[in-house]
Amino acid sequence: MMTQLLLFNVTNGLIIGAFYVLMALGLSLILNLSNVINFAHGGFLVIGGYIAYTITPYIGFWGALLLAPPLTAIIGLAVERVLIRPLYGRDPLYSLLLTFGLAFMIEDGTRFIWGPQGKPVTIPAFLAQPLSNDLFFITGYRLFMVVVVMIAVALLFLLLRYTRLGVRIRAGTLDLETVAALGINVGMLRSLNFAVGIFLAGLSGVLAAGQLGLEPTMGTGLLMPSFIAIIVGGIGSLPGTLIGGLLIGVASGVTAVFFPAASEAVIYVMMAVILLTRPRGLFGEEGMMS
Amino acid sequence: MTSLIFNPRFDRRKLLKGAAALGALQVASPFIIQARGETPIKIGMVDPLTGVYAAPAGNEVMGAKLAIEQINAKGGMLGRQVELLVEDSANDVGTGVQKARKLIERDQVNFIIGDVNSGIAAAIAQVTAEKRILHIVSGGHTDSITGKDCKWNVFRVCNTTRMEANSVSNVLFTKYGKKWHFITPDYAFGHTLYDACTDDLKKLGGTVTGNELTPLGTTDFSAYLIKARAANPDVLILLVQGSDMINCLKQVVQFGLNKQIHVAGTQQELESLAALPPEARVGVWMFEWYWKQPGVPGVEKFVADIRKVNNGNVPTARHWFGYTSAMSFALVANKEKTTDAVKLAAALEDFELPDDVKLQPNKVYYRKGDHQLMTSAFVGEAQSKGKDDPEDLYRVDEVVPGDKTAPAVSETGCTIQWPA
Repeated sequence: MMTQLLLFNVTNGLIIGAFYVLMALGLSLILNLSNVINFAHGGFLVIGGYIAYTITPYIGFWGALLLAPPLTAIIGLAVERVLIRPLYGRDPLYSLLLTFGLAFMIEDGTRFIWGPQGKPVTIPAFLAQPLSNDLFFITGYRLFMVVVVMIAVALLFLLLRYTRLGVRIRAGTLDLETVAALGINVGMLRSLNFAVGIFLAGLSGVLAAGQLGLEPTMGTGLLMPSFIAIIVGGIGSLPGTLIGGLLIGVASGVTAVFFPAASEAVIYVMMAVILLTRPRGLFGEEGMMS
Repeated sequence: MTSLIFNPRFDRRKLLKGAAALGALQVASPFIIQARGETPIKIGMVDPLTGVYAAPAGNEVMGAKLAIEQINAKGGMLGRQVELLVEDSANDVGTGVQKARKLIERDQVNFIIGDVNSGIAAAIAQVTAEKRILHIVSGGHTDSITGKDCKWNVFRVCNTTRMEANSVSNVLFTKYGKKWHFITPDYAFGHTLYDACTDDLKKLGGTVTGNELTPLGTTDFSAYLIKARAANPDVLILLVQGSDMINCLKQVVQFGLNKQIHVAGTQQELESLAALPPEARVGVWMFEWYWKQPGVPGVEKFVADIRKVNNGNVPTARHWFGYTSAMSFALVANKEKTTDAVKLAAALEDFELPDDVKLQPNKVYYRKGDHQLMTSAFVGEAQSKGKDDPEDLYRVDEVVPGDKTAPAVSETGCTIQWPA
């Protein structure tokens, strides 16, 4: 009985973790290249969700899944160009404060446009049920989410490894000055990188809207675990972020079995332990944030 | 950089502009007051217009505004116009207290309404008691406000958590079974509600198979639901509220748990049901007020009036809370012909609301002894789609009067200390 419960929660934790991974990878991309701690990432998730909600009646759930993330990325591009670009090269505190304010603006903006009342999002009926009676927590939709995350992660890693843009992003993460000296347009590189990050936030938003209630405040609760995933996995390492996201998902799932009230606190405890024993995170490179 | 932050330098132009603006303000402000004519009576309202309770708070404010309009159209309060000043508590105790103080000290309001959040409501009650301002708690449910921390100047419109539990416990026990499993939000409201439910359950002879304490703002309930199902209860009781309720109920239905275990709870709100997809509108609950009450005087007009200002949507219990709070002040002040807080508080004791304000079948009055409004519980079941109206998402089976659900004053722990 206990083993089954534990096994269930480990599997369930991996599913939850997969979602955090999607959020955290976007955050991590932006942080690594541009040193911007994007507190508005949850806001972009909300924008993605609401765009999907708005266009679903016209093009259906699948159309929204395809279209909402790029639309969110376009909004992200505009925000980067107007607000964030002037702050590159300054102390990261500036962009942190800016995006922190931006998060509130997006929250109130969505409230202004779509109203404070939550919106119902209906997912295709065949996804909205459990696969089997025993494994009731694995619904079609959650499995679908995991598959989408896997595809997105695979595409992202392929992009970073094999395309010119990807190679430049990775090079820029390691040594932006040299990349600039080699004649690469760093401004453009940062913009595109930001757009990729926001695309992932938009995708998370569409996926979240299908499973959770769509509300102006929904981004806040999903943002912190993603930050912790990055810190646990190690800043500067995308595979680290991937592992970090899965780890905190499992940790909070397992804690829920023994001590439910602490299932949220446990990820913070994990972060504290990692920071004390291995400040760079599990896979992080030393001195990334100095 | 730091020198700029800590030693801001003003040049001559900025200084001149600032001085000019200040000067203009001095001339302008008395002008605004003169234009209003006689000074109006002011009602201050503190509610979390931003944050997770933005939807219910916005609806309470809308209800209060409608009340003020109607009061003014009928000649106001003591012949003076009434003005509503709204402040955002941002769902934060410190901010709420600060805004209440601002309303009382600077804006000189005569009355205070608020807050949706129990913790903030209780904290504001400390301020209003200290400042001797009549205060109606519109939508914060925790018992202590009209229980052990009750005050001479504080009245409450919405139910206590005890009243909520008492209204549904019997139905759930007899209809659905005696083994209950709880999903409880881990803060004051959740704890008192859980205690109330389990007290009832023990009296009825049932058992608790477990209680999952979930942090406020939990998005994923799967881990708790896995545990709950493993415990094999007859009824799964959801005590969470707001976005937590929406997320939890949505996941319960996606997991198909509602087909294996009876899903129910205490307080359910139209705001939550409206935010859920049709298939997730399930369960037995209590509403604190419902818009569809055929034949009950005044309800139809109230619904029509709110529709006009609410994008065509029907009122929720929150609209009624705000409306009733503001109306109570006007009714009692016009009856007593005074704005004196102590006199009005005394007059509100056992004060019965008229038909066009109570908007429900049973007798509704502020109980002497704990200042709790004896308002009905609308026990019934959520329905996925309304028959005649898309917003008819709830079927009311029974309207239980407040004095049936409320514990006796002696059990509330309230002893009111009147000012000397």
